[in-house]
Amino acid sequence: MKRTRFLLGTISGLTLAARSDSLFGLAIAQPVLPGNGSAVAERVLVVVNLQGGNDGLNTIVPHGSPAYYRLRPSLAIAPSDVLAIDREIGFNPKMKSLKSMYDNGLVAVVQGAGYPEPDHSHFRSTEIWQTGVPERIENSGWVGRFLDESKLPESNLFNAVAVSPVLPQVMIARSVDVPAIESLSGYGLESDRNASERSAYSSVLRNGRMPFNSPYLATVAEIEDHAQRGSEQLPKLVAGYRTSASYPATGIGRSLALAAQIIGSKLGTRVIYVQHGSFDTHVSQRTPQDRLLGELSDALKAFYDDLAAHGNDKRTLTMTFSEFGRRVAENASRGTDHGEAGPMLLVGGGLKGGVYGQHPAFDRLDNGDITYTTDFRSVYATVIEKWFACPTEGIIAGTFPTIAALG
Amino acid sequence: MAIMNAQPSFRPAGPLSASPLAPYTGPWNARLAAHLLRRAGFGGSPSDVARLARLSSGEAVEAMLFVPAVDPLPALPPLVDDESALRVTVRNAKHEMAANEMSPDAYKIVKKQRGFERHEQERADVAWWLNRMLATNAPLQEKMTLFLHGHFATKTRSKGIYGLDIAEQNALLRRHALGNFRELVHQISKDRAMLKWLDGARNVKAQPNENYARELMELFTLGIGNYTEHDVRESARAFTGWTFRKPDGPVYFDAAEHDDGVKTFLGRTGQFDGDAIVDIIMAQPAASKFLAGKLLNFFVYNEPEPELVEALAAVLRKHDFDLKPVLATLFQSQVFYSDRSYRALVKSPVEFVVGTCRLLGVSEAQPEFFAVLTRMGQLPFRPPSVKGWDGGASWLSSGTMLARANFVSSVLAVPATMQSTTWLTQGAGFDSAEASHRLVDGILQGDASPESVARLKTYLDDADSGQKLSVENFDQRMRGAAYLTMAMPAYQLA
Repeated sequence: MKRTRFLLGTISGLTLAARSDSLFGLAIAQPVLPGNGSAVAERVLVVVNLQGGNDGLNTIVPHGSPAYYRLRPSLAIAPSDVLAIDREIGFNPKMKSLKSMYDNGLVAVVQGAGYPEPDHSHFRSTEIWQTGVPERIENSGWVGRFLDESKLPESNLFNAVAVSPVLPQVMIARSVDVPAIESLSGYGLESDRNASERSAYSSVLRNGRMPFNSPYLATVAEIEDHAQRGSEQLPKLVAGYRTSASYPATGIGRSLALAAQIIGSKLGTRVIYVQHGSFDTHVSQRTPQDRLLGELSDALKAFYDDLAAHGNDKRTLTMTFSEFGRRVAENASRGTDHGEAGPMLLVGGGLKGGVYGQHPAFDRLDNGDITYTTDFRSVYATVIEKWFACPTEGIIAGTFPTIAALG
Repeated sequence: MAIMNAQPSFRPAGPLSASPLAPYTGPWNARLAAHLLRRAGFGGSPSDVARLARLSSGEAVEAMLFVPAVDPLPALPPLVDDESALRVTVRNAKHEMAANEMSPDAYKIVKKQRGFERHEQERADVAWWLNRMLATNAPLQEKMTLFLHGHFATKTRSKGIYGLDIAEQNALLRRHALGNFRELVHQISKDRAMLKWLDGARNVKAQPNENYARELMELFTLGIGNYTEHDVRESARAFTGWTFRKPDGPVYFDAAEHDDGVKTFLGRTGQFDGDAIVDIIMAQPAASKFLAGKLLNFFVYNEPEPELVEALAAVLRKHDFDLKPVLATLFQSQVFYSDRSYRALVKSPVEFVVGTCRLLGVSEAQPEFFAVLTRMGQLPFRPPSVKGWDGGASWLSSGTMLARANFVSSVLAVPATMQSTTWLTQGAGFDSAEASHRLVDGILQGDASPESVARLKTYLDDADSGQKLSVENFDQRMRGAAYLTMAMPAYQLA
């Protein structure tokens, strides 16, 4: 969503056009990155938000660490159940599908992702991960700023899509209005009963000379206009796509099925957001977290099967994030409280699978929490620079080393 | 390196006046009466607006602040099925299965049936509250209950919370909606739904759980930055001991689980219990500012200036957190009736749905409203998190805007709606110019551009078919034109 006035948008649009020629030039001059075989302009990022703070230690399990078993008498996953990557770590037993993808080189695990002076509030930490700005309050999302910098065609209503009921902060951009589409079936005007009503609908949205002023007026009119045109276009644009996988009947399964359909329909979509959760497991953690991780793993498998059948797996990169990991020691309720660093997963046919970053160090806990070893902005910077071949300037403040999983 | 994006802002343009909370003394008319009705209530029909407009502005605010001595509406939703009975049924079935007296498939059916009954209960709960909003003659009490639900956001069918828990919490919020906020904070700390939601019942001396203590300060009273992690840990200890035995049983204080040791909290040291912690919190200057900011964002406009927040915080302190005189000051203030506030908020989905029903004379919530509100992004009793709904720009997305338009269309498609909307249909001739003004005045208090009004007239005339507005096509065209009017941007704004 473009959360700004029309006037502002126009001015910034001009500025953008004036200064981003070089950016655009870069994408044209280097259309194919070596080793990946996919044109940069066709690449897609799927961002998966594991809402509520996913417990990283029961996701990528440190089954070689006695401290893990000592601090989690009832919650620890038995070594024999862990889907071992090596003698130190392995996947949660419910993540069989993802483990098989890992074995095929399609998954990169980034250990210890976090940021300095971690915040234990869901809301502030979610904001930090979504904006990519820990230092201060920022409105725009890091993906939003990437979209702004990418000089995408304004006429395309699907430059990015959020598969969610409301627009997440990560997608808030200045010059690109991102539609939030929960499902295809609910995305349309049922009321377009006749041509005369339809044509009147779009013209009554035009502001004209309003007898009042409201800070929301232009935004509302713009989103209503995009909703009408977008919902008219989208079903036609994706109608030709045939799903080639059987997705699990879960929320994340349905969301990724829609993502594959949008990607496969080649609408010029660069980023898709989906969400999964809640992972806020203060109480009796094992059952709900295992279920959610199993759902994620099975849905990702179906997603990449579907993408691969249409030749889209190499141009689609998936990245998970969660606002924080959880405390190392379990609490009295067989759950875990808000913690700090946790793993991120990168999935796709265009990356170098493996484990990146340092494993959680139990001898260096920060008040009982895992200390971060990879700044999450390193992962964002990697995606921006190596996946999208875009400079991070204007998107990520500061310089962060990239991760070798890409590029 | 700076990040280049300018911060988009939804604060109204222009400077704030010197005494924004001074009493408004300007002209009083239907436009401002409708503004008050939308903000302090859920909007209404043109005759509701006219009734308020005939009073003085002071009398109109008095009318909104009214709370009946005896609540004429049902205090709790109808119980579809008793949650504890459901639990017993499932438990018995489980025993039978264990004793091989019931097949696993039959047990699954029993469990599925319980899930179904719980869903029915949730639908009944939502319908019950929407019906209160539609029928109440104490609109601000109901509006404040909605505000407080978003403030102390507790989610049903989560963490063992079911119908009775959330209904009793809702009744608690309503009892204090125009009462004392500090007292409500005391009460909500011992509320069964809250004890489940933020793990208070699991907060015991041996192993304190910080969830409630943290959110109490971060989201309910002080805001982030006004306390430390140490304060969270210490206050969690103080809240230990409040619990319940049966899942729907009464809350009581278990002294054996309470940590009565010395705590250091917000610079003070003592053998504090939960009540002492609440009193210390509410005596912080940050507490009045935090609540003032949230009230302004909900009732006046988004991103209120610090000086406006401080002015309202001072009123809160002056009245010792008694909400009724504070809201009276707010709804009689200059800033509330200024251009800065007018149509400066985005209607929440609940406001949109209830307001549309009140406008069109729909007197009862329909079963499909449950799905409608879900698509719009605000299902009562299901806030996305303990932070509640973000409001403002977060209500606006292409998906939610389509859900709003489709809801309006479906309500208008019910034949009874056109019959109940007498202001729209009765006594009207077939003059398309008159009809388009009637629509724009009745629905938007005239807040449409001349171009849009002209377009409505063209639609009513239907130039394509050459069939002017007449007795044959009147209902169908007025329905279409009402739909178009409610698609205009002003209708999304409160």
